[in-house]
Amino acid sequence: MAKSPVQKFLSKFFDVRSGETSTALLMFFYFFLITSSAYVIKPVKISLYLEWLKPKNLPYAYLLTALVIGFFVTLNSKLLQAMKRQLYISLSLVFFILNLFIFWLLFKQQWAWVSMVYWVWSDIFMITSVTQFWILINDIYNPRQVKRLVGFLVSGGLLGGIEGSLLAAFLARSIGTEKLLLICPLMLFLCLVIVNFVSRLQKVESGEGTEALKKLKKPKITYSKSFQLLRKNRHLMLLCGIVVAGIVVTTLVDFQFNLIIESQYEDQNTRTAFLGTFFTILLIFSYLLHVFSTNRILKNFGIRTALLITPFFLLIGSMAIFLFPLGYMIYWAALIKGTDKSLAHSLSQSVRELLYIPINPEIKYKAKVFIDMFVNKFAKGFGALLILLFFSVLQFTIKQMSFIAIVFIFVWIVLNLLITREYVNIVKRNLEIKWQDADKFIREKIDIDMTKLVFDTLQSKKRSSVLYAMNLFDLLKKEKLSPELKKIISYKSDEVLASSMDSLLELDGETLLPEADDSLEDEALDAQVKEIMSLDVYQQLMNEHIDKVISEESQEAEISKMEAAKVLGMMEPSSSVIHSLSQLLKDESPEVIRYAVESAGNLKSREFVPLLVQHLSQPRTERIASKALVEYGSKITGTLKDYLGDPDEDLRLRKAIPDIIFQIGTQRAANLLTLELRKKSRDVETEIIEALYKMKSKKPQLRFQRKIILSEVISVIKKSYLILIEMHDLMSDEKKVYLAKDLENNLARSLKHIFELLSLIYPHDDIIRAYQNICSGTKESLDYSIELLDNILKREIKEALLPLIDDVPFEDKARRCSKMLKTLEKAELA
Amino acid sequence: MEISAREKSDVIIFDIEGEIRRSDVSDVTLHQLVKDQLDTGKRNILLNFKNVEFIDSFGVGEILASYISTHNLGGKLKIAKISKKLYLIFQVTMLTKVLEIFEDEEVALESFIKD
Repeated sequence: MAKSPVQKFLSKFFDVRSGETSTALLMFFYFFLITSSAYVIKPVKISLYLEWLKPKNLPYAYLLTALVIGFFVTLNSKLLQAMKRQLYISLSLVFFILNLFIFWLLFKQQWAWVSMVYWVWSDIFMITSVTQFWILINDIYNPRQVKRLVGFLVSGGLLGGIEGSLLAAFLARSIGTEKLLLICPLMLFLCLVIVNFVSRLQKVESGEGTEALKKLKKPKITYSKSFQLLRKNRHLMLLCGIVVAGIVVTTLVDFQFNLIIESQYEDQNTRTAFLGTFFTILLIFSYLLHVFSTNRILKNFGIRTALLITPFFLLIGSMAIFLFPLGYMIYWAALIKGTDKSLAHSLSQSVRELLYIPINPEIKYKAKVFIDMFVNKFAKGFGALLILLFFSVLQFTIKQMSFIAIVFIFVWIVLNLLITREYVNIVKRNLEIKWQDADKFIREKIDIDMTKLVFDTLQSKKRSSVLYAMNLFDLLKKEKLSPELKKIISYKSDEVLASSMDSLLELDGETLLPEADDSLEDEALDAQVKEIMSLDVYQQLMNEHIDKVISEESQEAEISKMEAAKVLGMMEPSSSVIHSLSQLLKDESPEVIRYAVESAGNLKSREFVPLLVQHLSQPRTERIASKALVEYGSKITGTLKDYLGDPDEDLRLRKAIPDIIFQIGTQRAANLLTLELRKKSRDVETEIIEALYKMKSKKPQLRFQRKIILSEVISVIKKSYLILIEMHDLMSDEKKVYLAKDLENNLARSLKHIFELLSLIYPHDDIIRAYQNICSGTKESLDYSIELLDNILKREIKEALLPLIDDVPFEDKARRCSKMLKTLEKAELA
Repeated sequence: MEISAREKSDVIIFDIEGEIRRSDVSDVTLHQLVKDQLDTGKRNILLNFKNVEFIDSFGVGEILASYISTHNLGGKLKIAKISKKLYLIFQVTMLTKVLEIFEDEEVALESFIKD
């Protein structure tokens, strides 16, 4: 889809995508106008109150606001339930416009109490209008969109604030503080137009938005229900705590600021002009901070650091009061208030909105109203009571008031640390594991070795009683012979010369030989077999017998060789007879080889390793050779790595080795396999990555060398970029579209490898959760997956990976990949 | 362990009774008795295990040593009436492929004639 000039312009600065440009622009202006009005109303509020009621009475204003807001939240909740969102917001705006005219008339009477009423009213206006704005945003966009657009929208608010403050600063002296109010109704009327226009636009552009809107209209909100909701939700409780701590600190700072301002500027209009100028500078600073830092901080350092920045700077500021001489307190006041407000307008606001993202939309809506309108004001009231207690009753000085602020800043920091942990947990809870790892599933559910042995036993029954006895003996040693299995194995036992095994199976079959009173226990049997095999005479006899068997070439000799191969595996590795196994490993019969390979695995003698490795290149012996090599364990991982890394070796053989190393599964095996990744051998890359992944799945305690893994991740990401770019080129040519299908599979495989590698160095389950939800989840689970990755991955990896998985049109994806590829290549060159 | 020897159709038959175990070894072992017979020129030996209650690895060693001694002199050593469990052990250790084992004495004796 072609981009409009407006979108082209916006996309240079913000991540605004096609389909959302109109609503985003309108909401930008809506927020601009709301904050512009607020910043005209605000200097008037402070200046008039300080003039008519003096700063010592400020705590009463804070307290009254808190009490009235409590009532207003209830009213607001009822109206939200009873009315359509668009209608409710429109009526609120009309109500505020009318109020502004009334206040303008009342101000003429110079009644002191009007400044108290106006103070409370202006707080209601600001909180209501800003909350309504964010509720609208949450209705229109999904969490991921909000995260992308929040920077753009907050810019609108900050610019509006600057404009409002400038108006107050320039017009206060010329038209007077009270008349400033008459600017606001016009701006609020424009908001009214926008709300109605956006509502219509939403219906046209997307049915989903209105659906979501309809859904959100249903829930009934009551105080007690909202409180119950919050009480049950740890995340929301922490969020409340943060809001309370933050607002108490802000109230204390605001009180200190106003106290100093009143003593510095005695004339009302000069004070209003100063406040206008102060807010202008403050907002410009906030805006710059927001544009240049908020997203960068969030992107580079994540939500945890972003949450800690505001309390950290306020802590420094609050401590700094003890260093300022009395004559320079205005600078301290401007500094601390500036720090508090600039960070509140930029970073804190954005981060706080992000904290709502993983909450269920219905709960989010109820909680947001409750926190923004009730908890917020409760905190303000609590702050006011603290001021009354410490300043009015205990006679604390301005400087001493900072001690209380410092205590609350510490509480704030602790709560911020707790909520970041909770935030990631909630994102994880929103992502289900979509499917179980097949390898792991089979490993857990089926004993493959046992199954194989049962089959071998059954098969050998028809061929040789000796082989049958040996296999049965193996089964017994494993102590896994269930009654059912005994029945299966003994079926038709009278047909072969194996009825002696009935006693082993404890069955009542026919006996071949006369009964004797040998009641050997299984353990005793095993011990006796071992003892016999260690006898010199036995070794001598077997040596002769096996030599004879190996030299035979008849068809019957095959079974004898199988028996010989099997019996060799039961001997001690130190036995001189076992060398004969080398001959049997080279036999032409696959059956003989099968038994010989198994025996080699039992004996674990190094002399057989080269022969076993060669069997990896043959399809019919690959599996058993792998299993035998696994039996050797960690001691042969070095040898296996040499074969794996040798490009002259048979490729099939090399490809089989990573899986053997996985099955060996020791830390040393993991280290060696990881080192092999460094060689960037594309022939066996897939097998190595998959083996490493399986290793981590099976043994989460294994550690992998981060540097090598990260380098490989970047390498696979680059490969994926190239595939995606090539796909994009092919898709633009109609004749070659079919070729893109193959590349799509390659891309999917590469993406899988990226996540498999990431699971080695980041929380395994989280990475798999994110990957599975990206592959087959809904749009919402994709958003949560990206959010989770955003919180756990290192910045460089996150930046490189997101262009591949982000939910954007394919054309944009290809463009972003191409851009990122160049960045990565430049970084490599540097 | 008690061992008695008798001869039938040019075959020396050792009837073994009781338990053959390392702890019960007396001055004369089965192998020694077989060697004594071999020294007298006998080459066909049959070990009858009908009344053997238990045999340990030492006992098996005695059988195998006797087999080797007989075999090295061009003779034949065969076994009759061993228990199911011992037969199983012989199967597991592949000794059934080396030793000739029979269900009863008569069949074993017939096999000597056939040889």
